[in-house]
Amino acid sequence: MKSYKEIAKKYKPEEIAQSFVFPDTSGKKEAKLEAFQQFRQKADAKRTEKDKIIAQLLQLKFQIEDYINTEVFNKSQHFGFFLKEYIERLEKKNKEFASEIDIDPTELSQIINKHRAPTEKLIIRLEIHSNKSFPAIMWFKLIEKEKAYELIHDKEIRNRESKHVKQKSAFSL
Amino acid sequence: MLIKDIQTEEKLEAVIEPIEDNDYKTLKKNKAQYKWFNWDKYKGQEVYKLRLKDNATILGLMCIIDHTDPGTNAIEIELLEVGDDNVGDKKKLDNIAGCLIAFACRESYKRGHEGWVFLTPKTDLIPHYISHYGLAYTPPLGTKLEGVMVAQPIISQRLVRKYLD
Repeated sequence: MKSYKEIAKKYKPEEIAQSFVFPDTSGKKEAKLEAFQQFRQKADAKRTEKDKIIAQLLQLKFQIEDYINTEVFNKSQHFGFFLKEYIERLEKKNKEFASEIDIDPTELSQIINKHRAPTEKLIIRLEIHSNKSFPAIMWFKLIEKEKAYELIHDKEIRNRESKHVKQKSAFSL
Repeated sequence: MLIKDIQTEEKLEAVIEPIEDNDYKTLKKNKAQYKWFNWDKYKGQEVYKLRLKDNATILGLMCIIDHTDPGTNAIEIELLEVGDDNVGDKKKLDNIAGCLIAFACRESYKRGHEGWVFLTPKTDLIPHYISHYGLAYTPPLGTKLEGVMVAQPIISQRLVRKYLD
């Protein structure tokens, strides 16, 4: 590593701050960690219930975004799983939440437990309920990911539908 | 996330992803861009690279440390370097460091640290980290105690919105 002084010969401090973070070479890491911990402790003491819920919701939102963007499919991370997380992180009961978005509690329960497919109206209502923090397109991509996996791996449907294909194309690419 | 072409003011889509072993070889060959730090030393640690979505060239690098102990419960930005072409008044692309710092804030939320991020500043840089990113310095300046720059949850949320949304 070259020293800060060398970098400072070439760039102004504001330019350096906009392009670098330097590793701690002071040998006083413990004292710095302590300074951070004290700062955090004081801030935590003032943290409200609302702050906690916001942090929980942001965590969930980023987890969903990353799950959508990864190629990995995880059976347990279905639409209903994330919807349940959304409701729980808001510290609401299913019945109360169902009433807030004007949906039958039984329907909500069936969607959470994967016994019924989520509808377009539901994901639109989730977007509105979350003040667009959890947009409909995000929920849609979650459903799409599940559908794509099922489409690729569902042998039963292939067996069933193959009976209806009387003549296959002459070409196989 | 978007970075800005300074000349055309065009917004360019960028991605941040973990560095791969091959990238270290590329960095070695391209010493002119990453000349200030020896990134080889950080092999095996959590290092991320920023690049344009349709181009493999690394535009910026960041090493983070995940402090999972309950007392700290935060992400530390250990080291960050923007490629030489995009540093100073002749830079072509803007917001590279901002995107990387915002990514650390997002990771902090994602890993359950509630948005808390910190880094060790050089003394001269403290006012600039404050004015440019909204970070706070603790303990208060002038106490002559060792301190760090902190992104509190509200600032982390703001940085994520500004640079990543």
